[in-house]
Amino acid sequence: MSLRVLNPNAEVLNKSAALHMNINAAKGLQDVLKSNLGPKGTIKMLVGGAGDIKLTKDGNTLLKEMQIQNPTAIMIARTAVAQDDTSGDGTTSTVIFIGELMKQSERYIDEGMHPRVLVDGFEIAKRATLQFLDKFKTPIVVGDEPDREILKMVARTTLRTKLYEALADQLTDIVVNAVLCIRKPEEAIDLFMVEIMHMRHKFDVDTRLVEGLVLDHGSRHPDMKRRAENCYILTSNVSLEYDKSEINAGFFYSNAEQREAMVAAERRQVDERVQKIIELKNKVCAGTDKNFVVINQKGIDPPSLDLLAREGIIALRRAKRRNMERLVLACGGEAVNSVENLTPDCLGWAGLVYEHVLGEEKYTFVENVKNPHSCTILIKGPNDHTIAQIKDAVRDGLRAVKNTIEDESVVMGAGSFEVAARQYLVNEVKKTVQGRAQLGVEAFADALLVVPKTLAENSGLDTQDVLIALKGAHDRGNVVGLSQHTGEPIDPQMEGIFDNYSVKRQIINSGPVIASQLLLVDEVIRAGRNMRKPT
Amino acid sequence: MRELVTVQVGEFANFVGSHFWNFQDELIGLAADPLGDAVFKNQHLNMDVLYRSGETQQGVLTYTPRLVSVGFKGGLGSVSARGTLYNDDVDTPSDTVTWRGSVATHYTEPCKKNLFLQSLSEEEQENLVDGKNSGRGEIEDKDIIECLESDVTFWTDFSKVHYHPQSLYQFVGSWVDAQEFDNYGIGKESFSWSLQGEDIDERLRFFVEECDHIQGFQFIVDDSGGFSAVAGDFLESVADEYSNTPVLLYSVRSPSSSNVLRENKKQIISRDLHDAISFARLSSFCQLYVPVGLPSLNRSKAATHLCIDDQKPYHCSAVYAAALHSIGLPFRMEAQGPTTDSCYVSGAVHVNDMVRMLAGQGRQNMVAILDVAMPAPTLLEKHLGQSLLGSLQPLTPEVKEDAEDLLALESMTAHGVFESGGDRASVSELKDQISAAYEGETVRPMLCHLSAAQCPLPVPLPFPSIFGNLVGQHGQLLATPISGVSTRGSLDVYSIPMAARLRSSNAVLPFIERRLTNLLRHGVQGSSATPLLRSWGFGREELEDMGESLSKMVLALNPHSLSSSDSD
Repeated sequence: MSLRVLNPNAEVLNKSAALHMNINAAKGLQDVLKSNLGPKGTIKMLVGGAGDIKLTKDGNTLLKEMQIQNPTAIMIARTAVAQDDTSGDGTTSTVIFIGELMKQSERYIDEGMHPRVLVDGFEIAKRATLQFLDKFKTPIVVGDEPDREILKMVARTTLRTKLYEALADQLTDIVVNAVLCIRKPEEAIDLFMVEIMHMRHKFDVDTRLVEGLVLDHGSRHPDMKRRAENCYILTSNVSLEYDKSEINAGFFYSNAEQREAMVAAERRQVDERVQKIIELKNKVCAGTDKNFVVINQKGIDPPSLDLLAREGIIALRRAKRRNMERLVLACGGEAVNSVENLTPDCLGWAGLVYEHVLGEEKYTFVENVKNPHSCTILIKGPNDHTIAQIKDAVRDGLRAVKNTIEDESVVMGAGSFEVAARQYLVNEVKKTVQGRAQLGVEAFADALLVVPKTLAENSGLDTQDVLIALKGAHDRGNVVGLSQHTGEPIDPQMEGIFDNYSVKRQIINSGPVIASQLLLVDEVIRAGRNMRKPT
Repeated sequence: MRELVTVQVGEFANFVGSHFWNFQDELIGLAADPLGDAVFKNQHLNMDVLYRSGETQQGVLTYTPRLVSVGFKGGLGSVSARGTLYNDDVDTPSDTVTWRGSVATHYTEPCKKNLFLQSLSEEEQENLVDGKNSGRGEIEDKDIIECLESDVTFWTDFSKVHYHPQSLYQFVGSWVDAQEFDNYGIGKESFSWSLQGEDIDERLRFFVEECDHIQGFQFIVDDSGGFSAVAGDFLESVADEYSNTPVLLYSVRSPSSSNVLRENKKQIISRDLHDAISFARLSSFCQLYVPVGLPSLNRSKAATHLCIDDQKPYHCSAVYAAALHSIGLPFRMEAQGPTTDSCYVSGAVHVNDMVRMLAGQGRQNMVAILDVAMPAPTLLEKHLGQSLLGSLQPLTPEVKEDAEDLLALESMTAHGVFESGGDRASVSELKDQISAAYEGETVRPMLCHLSAAQCPLPVPLPFPSIFGNLVGQHGQLLATPISGVSTRGSLDVYSIPMAARLRSSNAVLPFIERRLTNLLRHGVQGSSATPLLRSWGFGREELEDMGESLSKMVLALNPHSLSSSDSD
């Protein structure tokens, strides 16, 4: 890999060697990730030593999979991954932007310029670009009913860079509906309230949104119904198994009868808890065709299951902790921690509960709920690596929609922002800067163009032609992006290509910070951590 | 039947686990073998305690360990994390159904399967094609053993067990070398429980949900490096989620891990603090803590009849796994009703009973010493089993020898032991002999629970050649060495009588005291290590709490000690 161009034997690298090591590392990492960018990028299939497959077009995933050894590259990678953690996207852009900043700087440094001057220019340019971004962004009104079309366009833009068009478009509706489902007025959006469940089954186009919840387990009793309509849902966190394992009870039996008596007494306590649930069931269901489902976070042992099954109650044990919250949001009612004071108000409601079995895997669908605030995206795929990739894409799509709602604005995509910002920096900001820091502004401006340039390159277009056409069209007063198909300038608004404001902002913010740090390194001293891979 | 869920965290823990599951697999195989030894046919051990029955999407039945293993990505060598049981469709790498654009494929150089794994997959192929046809490419057992002796890199290299796809979790570190992953801080830094922990929790839940009535968790943790932090977080979440289920924890270390990085003072301090912190953290989330791993196993008394290369994790882990197997037998003995003992097994207890016995009464000491006799000596009429007690030697480091403790609590398991006539001692005989031996001791423990079984430890093919030349075919100790050989392996020795013991005694004091002293000296009183500890994410307060809980442990075992923390 081109990352390891540095001199591995030096104990101390002097200033210029250190600088070039950093520049080369940044460029190397850029080279690796560059082909990912955009809807025409290349998907990477990583085949491990044991034949395990990983499929990704996501810079974030790719960086994590790579065995990076070079400390500079690790620093860049950490920044880029942190970008993903905070805003959910933009890893690839961050890496290639940092790489390009370093590349542009190299030109000036080779001509004898001091990195400090460039760094000063970066700082000015960064601030100007952020201000420009605030002017350039397209504000949207979120309110109670956000504009579904805008949300869809943002989600589609992200998803189409990860999945082929038809699948991306199908998922677009799913992720937008999912976020709108869990959104509550005046509250931050908690994406954990969207469950992402997968099944290894059939084809990727079967992926769908379930308004309600899908649990990855079923009831554990042969006599419980596999399908029930009109169900009361009891969400509980109550132990329904005979727990002699009260760990700290230091009690020893002196004879067998005493032991039996203890066991019987403790068993009775469990049975009483079960009885309370049955009483509630009879209260609400007696004389109707309604059903009763218990979803418990703790265990339920076979005798308890028996009692419940005899009453026609469906019971699931060991539900995910998060599903307790989701169930209540999806079905209503409340999660109970004890069976004392059970009232019908604790109960949620679902029109349909049914079980789906695939080999040893069981799934329970809780559907047809009223006014849900939690939902499930059910991904189906033929194999694990396909599922994993769709899952990653869905997460990115959800984040994009959430960001849009929280930013209350979007940024036109397809490279249009970068072209506009570049022209703004060169034509206006540069003039206001004194002395040689101008060159830093220029380097920054040119580095911005790496986005449209890479998009063009990945589409097999001639980058120079494209840039000239874009700049020309921009100078005629239009906002223009790049058409991936023809290479002609297009209006991103017409095409519905929008990026997240917060993602862009973060890239502009963090890129120059890391680049500046790397440029200002005077010496690299090998201490403590070994920079070579021990062989 | 009460289920037990096993969790292995870290490199060496997986080595130990690999041997452990090989023993179980061998027991299952021998029980089903029509030509097998009768002693393996009537084991009266319930395998379902450790194993789960499942079914693939094609309806093929499976039987796999109830196990979650956490290891480094790339630590599985040539074995796929999903295993081979549940692979229904042969994945052709060329079909990418999610992307219409170009695909770039990057291949990591495939790991070559060693002779042993080759022979396993060949065997499977043959079983698929036609019942019994040992045709071409027969691999000699001798060559396999030679190959394993000379080169074992991954724990999967010698594993003959099929694992469930949910079992093997590979943790993707953020660009850390395995060599650098050697202390608590780095583990904490590169493993974020909030991001990856949920995946691990989910896998554990998968196995727990199936259990009708779980008796406990058995954790095997390699606490010598960063995995200690991973295990700490994992245990914390387990203690939170399954609050009534007891956790039995073995912290295991390979001898080689204690010799590295002792170059300068800074590294020594870092090591000492790591030991102290990981002990304090891990012990706070389990009910019984058993430290396993001597600085040199080969030179220890436990290895009197063994020839072990301390540098090979493959060797050392085999001994530890054998001891763990013996200790765990009572958890799955089939109870025959409250009073009558069967003639095959006796002394069944559950994890909870064991924990209460050792840690729940008297001094409430939760740190137990593991002793083992491998192979267990033959019961001689006149010695009345004393030889057996005498041959039990600790695998726990830093314990006082010949400590006299009248308040000691013990739980011992002996299985497959021979009597003087050369037959296997019956369970009742074994019990009588050992009880008699205890009677004869000058210093007797306060309580000793004894479990016994007739079935010895089977030696599977991939077991290392570590037996000395005094060990016979069935593990009996010979009077004269077998000439011409220095070590004997699975081709010469078929089974081994074993005895193992957990001991809650004040002999463990030096182990705890050293950790407490280091914690207090570097963490609480001194300030030289404060930046290091801060980079690990520990504040003074947290360290003081840890110090307090360790002092409590010391105080419980030795009420006369005036620990240094009291002086200020």
